[in-house]
Amino acid sequence: MSDIPAAILRAFELLFTGDADLWRIVWVSLKTTIAGLVLATPPAVLLGYVIAMYRFRGRRIAIWLAQAALSLPTVLIGLLLYLLLSRHGPLGGLHWLFAQPGIVLGQFVVALPVLLAFTLAAVQGLDERYAETAIALGASPIQVMVRVLHEARFGVMAAVLSGFGRVISEVGCALMVGGNIEGQTRTITTAIALETSKGEFAQGIALGIVLVALALLMNGALMLLQGDAHTVRERA
Amino acid sequence: MSISIHSQITAAVYENANVRPRDERRRALLGVRGLRKRYGPRLLFDIDRLEIATHSAYVLTGMNGAGKSTLLRVLGGLERAEIDSLRFACEDVLRVHPYPRALRRAIVYVHQHPILFSTSVADNIGYGLVVRGEPPAAVRPVVEAAMEWAGVAHLRDTDPARLSGGEKQRVALARAKVLQPRLLLLDEPTANLDGAAREQVIALIPTLVDAGSSVVIACHDRELIGLPDMQRFKLRDGHLEVRSPAPSDPSQPPRHS
Repeated sequence: MSDIPAAILRAFELLFTGDADLWRIVWVSLKTTIAGLVLATPPAVLLGYVIAMYRFRGRRIAIWLAQAALSLPTVLIGLLLYLLLSRHGPLGGLHWLFAQPGIVLGQFVVALPVLLAFTLAAVQGLDERYAETAIALGASPIQVMVRVLHEARFGVMAAVLSGFGRVISEVGCALMVGGNIEGQTRTITTAIALETSKGEFAQGIALGIVLVALALLMNGALMLLQGDAHTVRERA
Repeated sequence: MSISIHSQITAAVYENANVRPRDERRRALLGVRGLRKRYGPRLLFDIDRLEIATHSAYVLTGMNGAGKSTLLRVLGGLERAEIDSLRFACEDVLRVHPYPRALRRAIVYVHQHPILFSTSVADNIGYGLVVRGEPPAAVRPVVEAAMEWAGVAHLRDTDPARLSGGEKQRVALARAKVLQPRLLLLDEPTANLDGAAREQVIALIPTLVDAGSSVVIACHDRELIGLPDMQRFKLRDGHLEVRSPAPSDPSQPPRHS
């Protein structure tokens, strides 16, 4: 256990000397996470809005599936995608297994239910007079959606942030689909999981610090954006 | 659009029993036959006939729970109901659901406690014009005039969430007025207001009629009910009663009770 202080020192050394391997891992993680989020956000927000606002056949089933998908282990999603993307799977021709597009697809699937469920909750929690007022003033369905999503913007931002948090911190899917190939598909979480199991603590600790810093940064940005939001008491 | 409606109205004949010949401008605006609203097996109201004329003001009274808000929301296209027939501006409206565009453009419902969008006061007032595709240069002067009218010009830079109830109500009235609706449906506009805030809102109502709108106001406010030239609907036991209007002879002061 005496090598733990040494590992922590070494971790800071890696962080501040610009260790190429370390930052390549961070970059792969950020790139795939952001790509997955950018792809997942429009359909998830649209679906969340539609489910919140409109009555249609299968609405309750859609809510049920989205909620259930929230508690699905990502390693299971990884297994599913592995089967789809493997050489003899239906999507094998894409050659996305053990490559970054595969990870992005995984991040997309992991992020989708989080974004959808949070958007759904944000829109459902919004005062219905917003939509009614827009309708009464002559807004088209698209204009009503723009208006309502604008009023629910902090909820939608929270949805995207939660999606970011879930995607960047998930390890199961990235490991199954990506395969932790150095310089290619090694992400922060897969590196921590596998390097630590090899007894290499320093890189794991350094990557952990990067993850914590990212979490603080993202949530700090959200708080700044919400700067003009009121407390419950002020709104009343 | 308003021009075509005007010409239709000019060509129209009197067909409304409530229209008194004293005001030459009054014509039939909205006529509804057989209006029923059910919640499951419960029949909230069953109205044989509802006639609203142009350039007219109505109060809609009734006990709490009689369905005043619901009736206004049905007329304003925010809730569905069974409707046997509906005439608007002397034209038969064949399909009531989905709410026809012509009615949506002509009829504006204002909530009892209006909610303001989290933009600026000016953007709130201009919203209806903007979604109609009016260019910003055309919207700005109309919004300015409406802010003056409602006495909220000094609030243009205030966060709408920080306005008082009376200020919110006046912004909501201005937001509806800029659309020059043929029919304004106001749900208890003075509820929970008192003193100057209430008087300011009450003072705006006759000017809406002067500007060419008809107004139906659901309320309990005796001062609103007693306004000159105010006609009266009462929802009682699920039926709509039409009361004779208060006298508006200028030699007599308006009745206040």
